[in-house]
Amino acid sequence: MSTYAQQTAENVTLPTSLDEAVAALAAMPSAVPVAGGTDLMVSVNAGLLRPAALVGLGRIAEIRGWQYADGAALLGAGLTHARMGRPDFAALIPALAAAARSAGPPQIRNAGTLGGNIVSAAPTGDALPVLAALEASVILAGPEADREIPVSHLLTGMDPLRPGELLAFVRIPLLHAPQTFLKATGRTGPGRAVASVALVVDPARRQVRCAVGAVAQVPLRPLEAEQWVAGLIDWDGERTLAPEACTAFGEYVAAACIPDQPGVELPPAAVQLRRTVAALSRRALGRALA
Amino acid sequence: MSVIDGPGAVAESLAGGGTPHGIGSSLPSADAPAKTQGTYPYAADLWAEGLLWAAVLRSPYPHARIVRIDTAEAAAMPGVRAVVTHEDVPGDAMHGRRVADRPVFAKDMVRHHGEPIAAVAADHPDTARLAAAAILVEYEVLEPVTDPEKAFAAEPLHPDGNLIRHIPLRFGDPDAVGEVIVEGLYRVGRQDPAPIGAEAGLAVPRPDGGVELYVASTDPHADRDIAAACFGLEADHVKVVVTGVPGALGDREDSGIQLPLGLLALRTGCPVKFVATREESFLGHAHRHPTLLRYRHHADAEGRLVKVEAQILLDAGAYADASSDALAAAVAFAAGPYVVPHVFVEGWAVRTNNPPSGHVRGEGALQVCTAYEGQMDKLAAKLGLEPAEIRMRNVLATGDLLPTGQTVTCPAPVGELLKAVRDADLPPLPDGDDESQWLLPGGTSGAGEPGAVRRGVGYALGMVHVLGAEGTDEVSTATVRVHDGRATVICAAVETGQGFTTLARQIVQEVLGVEDVRVLPSDTDQPPAGPAARGRHTWVSGGAVERAAKMVRTQLLQPLAAKFGMSVELLTIADGKITSYDGVLSTTVAETLDGKELWATAQCRPHPTDRLDDTGQGDAFVGLTFCAIRAVVDVDIELGAVRVVELAVAQDVGRVLNPRQLAARIEAGVTQGVGLALMEDLRAPRGVVKRPSLTGYALPTALDAPDVRIVKLVEERDVVAPFGAKAVSAVPVVTAPAAVASAVRAATGRPVSRLPIRPQAAIVKPQT
Repeated sequence: MSTYAQQTAENVTLPTSLDEAVAALAAMPSAVPVAGGTDLMVSVNAGLLRPAALVGLGRIAEIRGWQYADGAALLGAGLTHARMGRPDFAALIPALAAAARSAGPPQIRNAGTLGGNIVSAAPTGDALPVLAALEASVILAGPEADREIPVSHLLTGMDPLRPGELLAFVRIPLLHAPQTFLKATGRTGPGRAVASVALVVDPARRQVRCAVGAVAQVPLRPLEAEQWVAGLIDWDGERTLAPEACTAFGEYVAAACIPDQPGVELPPAAVQLRRTVAALSRRALGRALA
Repeated sequence: MSVIDGPGAVAESLAGGGTPHGIGSSLPSADAPAKTQGTYPYAADLWAEGLLWAAVLRSPYPHARIVRIDTAEAAAMPGVRAVVTHEDVPGDAMHGRRVADRPVFAKDMVRHHGEPIAAVAADHPDTARLAAAAILVEYEVLEPVTDPEKAFAAEPLHPDGNLIRHIPLRFGDPDAVGEVIVEGLYRVGRQDPAPIGAEAGLAVPRPDGGVELYVASTDPHADRDIAAACFGLEADHVKVVVTGVPGALGDREDSGIQLPLGLLALRTGCPVKFVATREESFLGHAHRHPTLLRYRHHADAEGRLVKVEAQILLDAGAYADASSDALAAAVAFAAGPYVVPHVFVEGWAVRTNNPPSGHVRGEGALQVCTAYEGQMDKLAAKLGLEPAEIRMRNVLATGDLLPTGQTVTCPAPVGELLKAVRDADLPPLPDGDDESQWLLPGGTSGAGEPGAVRRGVGYALGMVHVLGAEGTDEVSTATVRVHDGRATVICAAVETGQGFTTLARQIVQEVLGVEDVRVLPSDTDQPPAGPAARGRHTWVSGGAVERAAKMVRTQLLQPLAAKFGMSVELLTIADGKITSYDGVLSTTVAETLDGKELWATAQCRPHPTDRLDDTGQGDAFVGLTFCAIRAVVDVDIELGAVRVVELAVAQDVGRVLNPRQLAARIEAGVTQGVGLALMEDLRAPRGVVKRPSLTGYALPTALDAPDVRIVKLVEERDVVAPFGAKAVSAVPVVTAPAAVASAVRAATGRPVSRLPIRPQAAIVKPQT
């Protein structure tokens, strides 16, 4: 008996609207949604993943752009990294644009999407610390109703995607203040982050928010360090900091993200990572307040 | 990018009228259009009616005893046509390039992660993979030997013992002592050749009981002989047909794929195809030897070398492969292209349960270059000399002795090369007002901070031998045929992308004056040409083509010369026309041929060499090539990120045969060297390969690759080599990593004794 036909049987749906996509997922709960496929299809090609069916999201026009809503930007989950890296988007959310530009070689950036970056939730996902620092929320389209949850709840698994739900939009507050994204890789060319730091200044709430990516399973927010540094800034004045304050902030963030283990000396790799995070955080704060 | 093709070269080729041809021209590769259009056939593109797909079951453990193999369940799966294990090898169960120590399929022991245990043929690749996974293997997991220093005392991993070869080199007076002594310990990681196309092949059974293997072999005759011995067939019943080679930096093909393919085709009577996953490719083929080097250099107060003492330990993995050759090169070149009166080296290649090591461009010579150049930097620092100056005071030249007692008879313009790179202009600092547009270490994402970046300049001199060493019978055979005003070259030398076929066309154009030259694809029905390695084909196959072409030329011109009563030497051929020196005779090649075909076959066999004796002495090498590189790097001293800004290369090439191809070879070699210096290291903690993928194993991209500036090509002809040309590919690979390390030392003041350079080794800790 030949197994050829059996192995090549594929079930691919290509909906053109969110409603159709949600319906397709509801009709076939074992189907896997795929957007850019830069992670998923690698696993499929390597034989590690064998989805019973695929729902391709590439033809849903409504999630491939963005719109404004109440002082926030509503980004479609199908926005590619290449699109987010362009100057018009960079004027809107500079840190996310910087993360998108560093997210890989052009071929990956042309295919990979914002939604894919969130749903695959790789520790090294470049957009994730930016979304955490911006306190973004995600809008999930489901068979019963849409719901909106903070991105951190999704990433940490506090409130995971439910069966049949699709990540449709990402809501990001527009801050109109400096924001930075810095990433350390082992090389000059595109590579996975060893550590990354996203830092945003929020003058309306008089906050500095910072998230560190790639050092843990999810982006980490050093809340105490954020509050400490926000207290140093003269919000009604120049909004600058002394270099010593930036250095102290870097150390503070690094120690919070790579904490000391009681009674154990940090292994050299952790010391090195801490140094990297400290340098990135210091530089990020320095540039945001320059 | 390279600066060798100046406007002058372009103007020259245009002035020559039409397409470039002959020796010294930048004739483009005949394959280039097909390769750029994606129509060039590689092994993975082959198809045969009714073919089956193969999958190989590999060991998940680096060291284990096989208690039981049960293939019943896999064989019973629908779609599966054959399952083969060690019990199904009809011929020799063991094979190997130099020593037959590697089993076709592991029988009672597995000695490295990824060692083949069984293979399956099925009607679909996924079925084959699932069936391979369904083979039941019961292992008794053993403690792996992964530290080569512990291999000496460990339980033998193989009946032959753990020591593959030991070379103690003794040269000069062991009691000599210098006024200044520096010591160092150096480590070089495991570079993977990472060819752009993973291993693939198609095996087609023949009606006469034989089998044809369509594989990207770089040494088809050796592969055929191994395959025939394992299949229990006469050599003439196995034919290896070379397909397009998607990148080769050593012994490209993994016998762990060719042999199962052939066995499955013979067993099923059907064509069988196999395409390796990237993971299998990383596990299966040979890697560069991870090496541990301990050095002590003695010099006098003026910085002249007095004595070099070294201990070199190569991690060969579980099987011998080419480790003996790598060790010979490492020991012989342990002191580098410098004059040293007293040299004492202990070199060992040992078995471990780490991934297999073998021939990868510049093996042995590369690892020692990293170490002896590190030592030269240390000596310079200790004596307060410029790094370039201390090297200049010690350079080797023609007529000097190598530590093996061999006299350097070929051109060795080491001082001239060093002077060329030292005196070349330095690259400009980044400029422009917008600092965010500067390409800083760490890349385009903007993490780099101009204030934390230090620039460093470093030097390295490298040397490597051409052709196989120590008595290897280096021979190649080529046939040239002229017909209808065209010429055809038949030679089993494999075009791996190194440009041999282009060179063969240029040689025939030069000798016969025929424009239209084709080179036939290689297979084992042709006479052997040997492996595509160590610059062999430029020398031996190029030499054979030249001789055959000259024989055809004589056949063509002799009747004419006799008719006109002049010697053949007085006739010239150019652009398909034959003319005599005085212009009296003028005819065309086609007219002279008059419909006849002329054939000639010739061999090229350079002078023989000796094996290194038990004190490491002997005339082991046919030829040597040298290279000087000046590296300029930017280092972010807080993050430890390194960007190689520019590598200035001066190389001893003998004669430039094809300028553009030569520049491409140097750029490719340098880039591979930069990869080893900064990122390429296949990690295998406790013998298990970690992240065998192109995401986990970083290769240089366009942003990582530096500007390569070829500042000088020294054309001093090597009188024993055809055209006086030297092979050019290996020596830039050998030299570049040491140059980068030297520049990072200059930028940071850190010792940098380990490659690839990890970020923590390039950080300058703040003074507190």
